[in-house]
Amino acid sequence: MNSCPVDRVAIEQTIVRALEGANASREPDAQLDTSADAAIFGAPSPLDSLGLVALLIDIEDAFAAQGCTIALSDERALSERRSPFRDVPSLVAYIERVLTEAGAQG
Amino acid sequence: MSRRVLITGTTRGLGRFLAERYLAAGDRVIGCGRSESTLEHERYRHHRLDVCDEKAVGELTREIRQRDCGLDVLINNAGVASMNALALTPPASARKVIDTNLFGPIVLTHAAIRLLRQSAAARIVNISTIAVPLRLQGEAIYAASKSALETYTRIAARELGPLGITVNALGPSVVRTKLTAGVPEEKLQRLVDQQAVPRLATAEDVANVIDFFLRPESGLVTGQVVYLGGFG
Repeated sequence: MNSCPVDRVAIEQTIVRALEGANASREPDAQLDTSADAAIFGAPSPLDSLGLVALLIDIEDAFAAQGCTIALSDERALSERRSPFRDVPSLVAYIERVLTEAGAQG
Repeated sequence: MSRRVLITGTTRGLGRFLAERYLAAGDRVIGCGRSESTLEHERYRHHRLDVCDEKAVGELTREIRQRDCGLDVLINNAGVASMNALALTPPASARKVIDTNLFGPIVLTHAAIRLLRQSAAARIVNISTIAVPLRLQGEAIYAASKSALETYTRIAARELGPLGITVNALGPSVVRTKLTAGVPEEKLQRLVDQQAVPRLATAEDVANVIDFFLRPESGLVTGQVVYLGGFG
């Protein structure tokens, strides 16, 4: 059963923790910014497309651990004019939307 | 070291053989199939499900996460054959074959990536068929589904390599299983006669290649499709 609390602060914390987790396996000169307005994918972030996949899986996993199953990289995300994965605020907003819709659908 | 092994289609045939083999090796095996299993072992758990059922597969992986804290090996073995002239194969039958043989592994792989990532030697093995390189008449749908699975295997290997997961496929030559039970004896013999080593394959022959893929030393072996018997 999905239990997905829609809470911007909690979503942001989950993303930042995932970025911090990703840094654990990255070289010192390729560390990701973990601030609340950090770029995630695209300049100036050093994250490549495979790194983005791993990060999104980490975030999905973190929500799954809370009993909340979400899929972040669907056709809609990939087709949006401005990528929802470009920075932390845009990803927070995107996840918030996904969670709200998931809640609305029950 | 004991591994956590998920095998689809363990109620009979090769899947059952592999489950018993890895149990004997000391591994923990999670099996699944559309029927109940008669395999009982303290390190075996069975889930009755259809591999195309995303919800059921989601439940399965959630249970594995909770009870096993992850996974080391996924063997996408479940498959169905439909040996018939393509002109006489109803599209609904073709869809069923493609669903089980291609969409099933896609569903399982998608779900298992999340469990495999933490493993020191994460492995995915897909079961293909010599019907692909031989382009066997009467097996257009079956071979097409497995051909697509081979392409999926090769691309998955590239995408999942950075996550530490190898993805390979094995195309057994003629093995006597329920899948080949409906094939006339002369046809089986004609296939065997085309092999570089003209004998029927055994489940041990198949397991030997899978064992190679699963070895911790095989970390650089990925995106490979190995056919038994000298085809390809």
